Amino acid sequence: MNSHHEETLEIFGALLDGFAKACLNLNIVAGRQASELTQSIEMLQWYPYQRLRDLENTVFTSYSNSGPILEKVGVQMMWAWYHFGPGQQILKDGVDFLHFQSSSNGYASVVKGPQSEVGDFKLMELDPQRGTALIHSTTPFNKDLERGVIIGGMEAPGDLDYVDVVHEGDGYFQIEFH
Amino acid sequence: MTLKDVLDAQHPPAEFDLSHEELVQFFWKYRGLSKRWERANAFWEATNANLKTAYEKLDEKDRELEHAYNVIQEDLEVASRIQSALLPVASTEMTRDLEIAVYHRQLAEVGGDYFDYFKMSGGQHAIGVFDISGHGVSAALVMTYLKARFMGLMDTTDSPKTIVDAVNDSSFAFLKSVKKYATVNFVVFEQDLIRYVCGGGFGMLLHGDQELHFEKKDHFLGLRNKPFHEHTLPFVEGDLLALYTDGIPEGQNNAMEDYSIHRINALIRQHADKPVAEIVDLCLDDYSRFRAKDTDDITLAILRKKKP
Repeated sequence: MNSHHEETLEIFGALLDGFAKACLNLNIVAGRQASELTQSIEMLQWYPYQRLRDLENTVFTSYSNSGPILEKVGVQMMWAWYHFGPGQQILKDGVDFLHFQSSSNGYASVVKGPQSEVGDFKLMELDPQRGTALIHSTTPFNKDLERGVIIGGMEAPGDLDYVDVVHEGDGYFQIEFH
Repeated sequence: MTLKDVLDAQHPPAEFDLSHEELVQFFWKYRGLSKRWERANAFWEATNANLKTAYEKLDEKDRELEHAYNVIQEDLEVASRIQSALLPVASTEMTRDLEIAVYHRQLAEVGGDYFDYFKMSGGQHAIGVFDISGHGVSAALVMTYLKARFMGLMDTTDSPKTIVDAVNDSSFAFLKSVKKYATVNFVVFEQDLIRYVCGGGFGMLLHGDQELHFEKKDHFLGLRNKPFHEHTLPFVEGDLLALYTDGIPEGQNNAMEDYSIHRINALIRQHADKPVAEIVDLCLDDYSRFRAKDTDDITLAILRKKKP
């Protein structure tokens, strides 16, 4: 259950655009729904958070099992961000994504509003030797989508052979990577 | 041989030696592929389930569409029977004076071509041929409206101009509101002549050897709220009158050439000595061989003045 008061939050156009385009590229939605998705999203503009919820709802209403779909959307969004956006210039490797996402240039740059509503994306633990990390996310994002974002962001640079992310509840993501 | 060499080879090497580090790397590559496969599988299962649901919804919509189509078809068949029932049968009195043949066919189940027989207040017989703009249900509805208008005025006058003016005047606002109009050929048969109003219709009269054409300067019903003009032509024993809508002359062949009024008039003239029903059949036969496909309603009426 979402405990955020989302009416006070805003989301960056580039993220909305990334979500919409991922849905189109994966043929998750098509036809009239697809055209409506991508209509009038300005990359550098801020939008009410509800706009992202509206996009997510197109997936929820179309799929009885939306978890794997949203996860795939998250992976696709980060793949596109890395290969066609600024990702290649920002990340030196897969683990670097965890540092980036938890920094002020990561999550914090795409959602704004009262801090209690925005939440954050904290890297709680990181053991590169053992290949484990623990993230605590208090963001309003759907957790399947967020899992996909973490997987996609870590896999995009191509240096990691194995990435697994498990949401253990309450926004805690257990990550294993090798 | 390195792990990369092994994985890049076309076939597994007969023997190879991997270090512990390489084995670990191989292990994680394999696990990574398995994990990706697991995620891809979950994605495809979710989309397949969605596809199944989509197909079921499509099936349901298909059934609804088929049902709606059947309902509409049934309605159209009933409408077609009603419209056919509204068409006239010439009275014995009329056929005593006139040899009559009419071919009338709507493009769809119902349509906007219409013809009718009338008896004027002075006892004269009359025929009207009309072509309501458009096709299908909307034109058919206007047809029934106009029929009621004309029938309501028959007892009031024996002048075609008076009737057509009255119908135009009383229908004008309605026809404008539904964006419809109608061509009109209204002909009253007198002793040795016809009196007629022609607004957009086609009419040709063979008076002995003379080919006489209707004056076509008037407007259509519903197009201008202005009076029509009445004209006369001689019409004596043996004379032939042909009235038709634009369905035949404007029919086109594969080369997109019009059948033309010249062709139908020439054919009528060529066979003027034959029974009128035969002349109609010959015209339709020629037209059917000419035209590429039917694109309009068709009405062709041919009348001959009999010996008294």
